[in-house]
Amino acid sequence: MTNISLYTITSCLILDKDGKRLYGKYYQTQTLHPELTTLAQQVEFEKKIFDKINRVNQDILLFNSNLVVYKQVNDVLLIIVANLDENESLIYQLLSNLNDSLNILLDNTLDKVTILEKYDMVSLCVDEAIDDGVILEIDSSVLVSRVTNPPSGASLGQDLNLNKIDISEKGFLNALSFASKKIGERLQQGL
Amino acid sequence: MSTSSYKKGDPYSHAGAADKMAIFQECLQQFNATPVNARKCRQLLARLLRLIYTGEVFPSQESTTLFFSISKLFQHKDASLRQLVYLAIKELSSTSQDILMVTSSIMKDIQSGDLIYKPNAIRTLSKVLDPTTVSASERLFKNAIVDKNPIVSSAALTSSYNLLPIAKDVVKRFNNETLETIQSFKQFPPDQFQLHEYYGGATTSLPTTSYMYQYHALSLLYELRNHDKMSLMKLITSLSDGSSLRNSLAVIQLIRFINKVLLDDDSLIQHLLPILINFLKHKSDSVELEACKTIISLQHLISKADFANVVNTLQKLLSVPRTATRFAAIRLINKISVKHPKEIITVNQELENLINDSNRSISTLAITTLLRTIGAGTVESDSTVEVGSESVDRLINKMTSLMDDITEDFKIVIIEAIENLALKFQSKHKKLVSFLTDLLKDEGSLELKSSIVDTLFDLIKFLKDKDGKQAILMSLCEFIEDCEYTELSVRILHLLGDEGPNASNPSYYIRHIYNRLVLDNSIIRSSAVIALSKFAVICGGKVSQNIQILLSRCLNDVDDEVRDRAALSLKFIANNEKNLIVNESKYDLAVLENKLIHYLNNESNFADQFDINEIPAISNEELTSLEYENKLNRLDKNDEMEVEPTSTEGAKDDSNADQSNDLLKQQEFEQEISQVAEFKDYGKLTKSSIQPIYLTEKENEFVVTCHKHFFLETSKVVLQYNITNTVNHLIAQDVSVIAQSDNPAYVEEFILSVDELRPNETGTIYVSFTSPSLAEDELVSVFGNTLSYTNREIIDDEGNIDESDEGWTDEYQIGDLEILPGDFIQPLYNSNFDSVFDQLPLEDSTVVHLKGIKTLENAITKLKDDLNMLPLDGTDYVPSDSNSHILKLFGRDVWGGKVGILVRLALTGGKLVAKLQVKTETEHFSNTIVDGVGV
Repeated sequence: MTNISLYTITSCLILDKDGKRLYGKYYQTQTLHPELTTLAQQVEFEKKIFDKINRVNQDILLFNSNLVVYKQVNDVLLIIVANLDENESLIYQLLSNLNDSLNILLDNTLDKVTILEKYDMVSLCVDEAIDDGVILEIDSSVLVSRVTNPPSGASLGQDLNLNKIDISEKGFLNALSFASKKIGERLQQGL
Repeated sequence: MSTSSYKKGDPYSHAGAADKMAIFQECLQQFNATPVNARKCRQLLARLLRLIYTGEVFPSQESTTLFFSISKLFQHKDASLRQLVYLAIKELSSTSQDILMVTSSIMKDIQSGDLIYKPNAIRTLSKVLDPTTVSASERLFKNAIVDKNPIVSSAALTSSYNLLPIAKDVVKRFNNETLETIQSFKQFPPDQFQLHEYYGGATTSLPTTSYMYQYHALSLLYELRNHDKMSLMKLITSLSDGSSLRNSLAVIQLIRFINKVLLDDDSLIQHLLPILINFLKHKSDSVELEACKTIISLQHLISKADFANVVNTLQKLLSVPRTATRFAAIRLINKISVKHPKEIITVNQELENLINDSNRSISTLAITTLLRTIGAGTVESDSTVEVGSESVDRLINKMTSLMDDITEDFKIVIIEAIENLALKFQSKHKKLVSFLTDLLKDEGSLELKSSIVDTLFDLIKFLKDKDGKQAILMSLCEFIEDCEYTELSVRILHLLGDEGPNASNPSYYIRHIYNRLVLDNSIIRSSAVIALSKFAVICGGKVSQNIQILLSRCLNDVDDEVRDRAALSLKFIANNEKNLIVNESKYDLAVLENKLIHYLNNESNFADQFDINEIPAISNEELTSLEYENKLNRLDKNDEMEVEPTSTEGAKDDSNADQSNDLLKQQEFEQEISQVAEFKDYGKLTKSSIQPIYLTEKENEFVVTCHKHFFLETSKVVLQYNITNTVNHLIAQDVSVIAQSDNPAYVEEFILSVDELRPNETGTIYVSFTSPSLAEDELVSVFGNTLSYTNREIIDDEGNIDESDEGWTDEYQIGDLEILPGDFIQPLYNSNFDSVFDQLPLEDSTVVHLKGIKTLENAITKLKDDLNMLPLDGTDYVPSDSNSHILKLFGRDVWGGKVGILVRLALTGGKLVAKLQVKTETEHFSNTIVDGVGV
């Protein structure tokens, strides 16, 4: 039966490379998806999807009467879950535009570290795209234009200093995580 | 922020989410500080949201405290902080109390706040309002809906949508504003893209509007109007010209409305189909897909030419680079192929290319679809058989080469598809069986081999062609010569014992089985002994003597199980105890289990012996028909839910459960009825209708379902009405159903009514009739039913009723109940319909017009359901665009005789005519069928 209501999206997830949740929002659980109400149910659901994605690496799959579209970007996984009968192309478009917007908002470094660091931007961006399971906006440039940057700081000298430390520390950690990813891959290939 | 506090909230710490309590405390401290540090607070809110989004839930009290301190941040003017404040309020609103206190701050923002957070404010407002306060914000919402800014408008529309469950009457007043919004043109303000620094001054390539408000307005309007079909039709026609709706989501929504309207009333198809066809060419993939989806779901109303249009569009979508679209298109093509495989032969070329698609689901679907379209060729005339077999060859070659580089669960899906093909189009089995047996010889896991063996087993059971069976049995013999899995060998030996003795060359199998006795382990040896003994008792004569010699050698086997079985078998053979070796029937295990549990649960039962005769025995014949039906059901189910190897296992369990459920249900009815004193003398319950028949709408105040119970020994019929009271404030008393038969031969005896039915209770009413016997009168009848009861209103919370008020009696007509020929028939499988049909002694025939049925498929479904018989030889499948069809139905009547019906269906001038040739073993029963069909 075609879903005629505005409530189209079941869930929007961002998982890290171990399947751990970085961002997870389930919509209309009380009314439409009672099987995904508790945290335990949700974690179980995410684990199953993650296993499935790990096995077959290809943008879209059907899982337990859910339509799951996903994108692997660096060390994170963007996932949108919708009803089985939902328009596949539409949901995928939403996902890929969300991905584009996040890339712009996070200065082309869409990875776990940056997501956690700029969590305010990520939450706002998802909220502007999907509210309560309703697709609010699908155009990526409009999405970006709706998300405010953090306040530019109270221009305290201390703050300025800190910024510098931030950047260098972040750069170092970025390099470290990049290296460890590469090493991990090599090891896996070797095995 | 100091370095140390930065470390504490270290976002890339691997210790998991930051400490909940620490964040809670820091929030309270920072949000109440003066002056507020906007940057710090935004960061804190982000950490708080992270806690929420990773699954932490704040208990009500903490949540309320947080909520309160966050509301303090309204004093700070910074827009970027405010935006996050709204998000936090929204997320906390479901767990906090006293959320109404922020209403005035939010309303102030909506009226005079900064443009960037105005939409956030509107969306948050709908979260904090309750039914009593919605009307206060009515003006605000109305203004926001007609706002020139598309984002403000969208926010107001979706918020109104969210308010529907709590304040529908208020939202209803937005009707005009919503309608106005759909057709208006709203544009982003010129500085939209400067709100965020990324776009800076560059505005040339940016959209001026995304028209999302059309989608939201349209959906809201639908909710406000959905009970009025006329105004919905008006809306559809006014928006369908292709230029009014600019947003693809809005168009998709419009297509869904059309679908909905057509589901309710398919006579509008002439009006609406051209609109749908128009949308088959659209700049957006998703719109084209949606149009295809809708047309396909209405395929019974669509002409062939229109179908070709859909297939064209899908063909185009198959070659786009986007995986999701390709996937969707092939999913739809696969769906068409179930019913109309011929229509999609034109895309075969594309499908063959997709077999090598990188997305595994797509290639699986491509193969299963191809298997089906090829099958379609073979049911046509002779000339196309050539074409068909040629493409089968080609496909099998392609699959053979593909089999090397695909995963095992994928192979299993393909094997199931092949089985489907072989069962439905039996003439093609040779090629497919040889493909399967080749696959069996290759390396593979137990799971893969089991699924191949399962498939071969089913083919042996259901193939009509004797040579085909023999070929499979022989290749199984070869397989066990060199099989590494003991459990498979055992299963195959068991099957050889069942099927081998009746084949034309039993000695061939005996030789192979004897090899097992010499070469294999003790488990296989013991099942080989049993298999051999079956040959001995069935074939008899010389064979029996030879086998006795072989078995006597086993008496010296090293394993005691083998020795025991050999000794036992020899004894049985010598005494000619055939039925101890070969089972003619089995007990129904579900019922047996049920009875045994019942028996063991009560020690007083132990006084009597457990009576095995209470358990219904299922003959092999009946077992096969159950299995066959399950098989076809399962295969059909797989068609719907393709792709998922894991989910097919679930489906298997389901259908098995269904089958045993039917028998259990019958058992339950028997027990329930035996509890009722009035039915003591009625004897054994012969048959009940298992599925409840709804005599009212499921949403009715009183929902009535019905079961029919037949007692043939004493010529009684009991109608069981289950009545559920769904009205919360009423108690129904003296509930009764008056059933009147149009057949005078049914004489009412008594009614067992229900005294009182409280809200949400279900009561059971029995109405008993004497039924005519088969010989003297017709059995078919229609019962008109009237429900009568006395209403008593509930006056307090304990559900008491006002004793002084007598209540009022009410009566109304509910749906009619039919007694059909199918009530006296059980579906039965037989692999050779034609010869059995010829041998049935009694014959009758009739010609009926099936009123209100327009397609052959629907006619077949109706006949199958009404008569409760099993369609054989794949005759329930109708090739597309044919105008005539032959349906073979088979079953067993409750008096134990076989019933066969040959139905010739013809479609002429939009009318369906069925000519039935009914053959039975039970006297007079053919009249009943002839009378009852097409009523």
